[in-house]
Amino acid sequence: MEWRLLPMRIDDAFTSMAIDEALLKLNAEGESPNTVRFWRWLPSTVSIGCFQSLEKEVDLSVAKKYGVDIVRRITGGGAVFHDHDGELTYSVVCRQSEVPADIIDSYKIICGGLVKGFENLGLKAEFRPVNDVQVNGKKISGSAQTRRWGSVLQHGTVLISPDVRRMFELLRVSPEKISDKFIASVFERVTTMERELGKKPSFEEVREAMSNGFENSLKVKLQEGALAGEELELANEIKPKYASEEWSRKR
Amino acid sequence: MKFAEFKAPKGVIKIELDLAGDKISKISISGDFFMYPEDSIEKLEQMLKGTKADRESLLETVGKFYDSTGTKTPMVEPEHWVEAILRAVGG
Repeated sequence: MEWRLLPMRIDDAFTSMAIDEALLKLNAEGESPNTVRFWRWLPSTVSIGCFQSLEKEVDLSVAKKYGVDIVRRITGGGAVFHDHDGELTYSVVCRQSEVPADIIDSYKIICGGLVKGFENLGLKAEFRPVNDVQVNGKKISGSAQTRRWGSVLQHGTVLISPDVRRMFELLRVSPEKISDKFIASVFERVTTMERELGKKPSFEEVREAMSNGFENSLKVKLQEGALAGEELELANEIKPKYASEEWSRKR
Repeated sequence: MKFAEFKAPKGVIKIELDLAGDKISKISISGDFFMYPEDSIEKLEQMLKGTKADRESLLETVGKFYDSTGTKTPMVEPEHWVEAILRAVGG
């Protein structure tokens, strides 16, 4: 079975979210092939889960101060700080029939690609249900999945070297909690590739390792291909929704 | 608005609600849980509106929600929603 692998992209949050949704929609309509892509955020962005309350989760004044965008995802789960310099993000879009019907089982298969990818780079990783991958018992990747119109979109993070202190400034954790002791406790639970490997791998290196991992866990061959004109057009139509106040303040 | 949060095994459920007598008149649910399909959340809020704010009535409504919509919420069970709501009612 052949799936498409798209070239690496660096986009603003609204474009990236719109591309993911467009791929999901067109895949469901039979117009887009099953696809894997890797991408980065510019500027750095806080994404919130589709059920989260914007004001309750994000310190808007801090986001403004650092020029960090904020976007609501169509996927559930929690708020994430996506560091331009420290995170590689992936998206997998496929027909629902390609993955197990059980939700946790399907996370396990897709996250299995990341597990294999980390192993390719010399890190022993494991899937942690529902949606995390751990190295040495610490979270190194988080994912979120939605199923719509008969297709699946799963996107998630690969933490290469994110700025964890900045993350807690942006997310609504009470300021007195952001002590050195608190940051230390976070480092007990969350890790990064830079920390585990003792050096920062390149984005391209990680992309290649993870692509190979997905081929392995999904049992597919990834074929390099480009975004189709139709996909970009639909993404452009969808994009204003993600940038709108109505969408970001939905809850 | 009364507010409370409750940590389920997967996700924190945040509830804002108003009561009219012993019934829920307004409710808004947020949090970092997963729900499939996602738009079921509006249905859940709608069904909870008008429900008596006691454990038994809430469990019945939430049970009906799952049965009638086939919604899936990995590692979040009916009693977790009820617990979160009861905390808001009490708080």
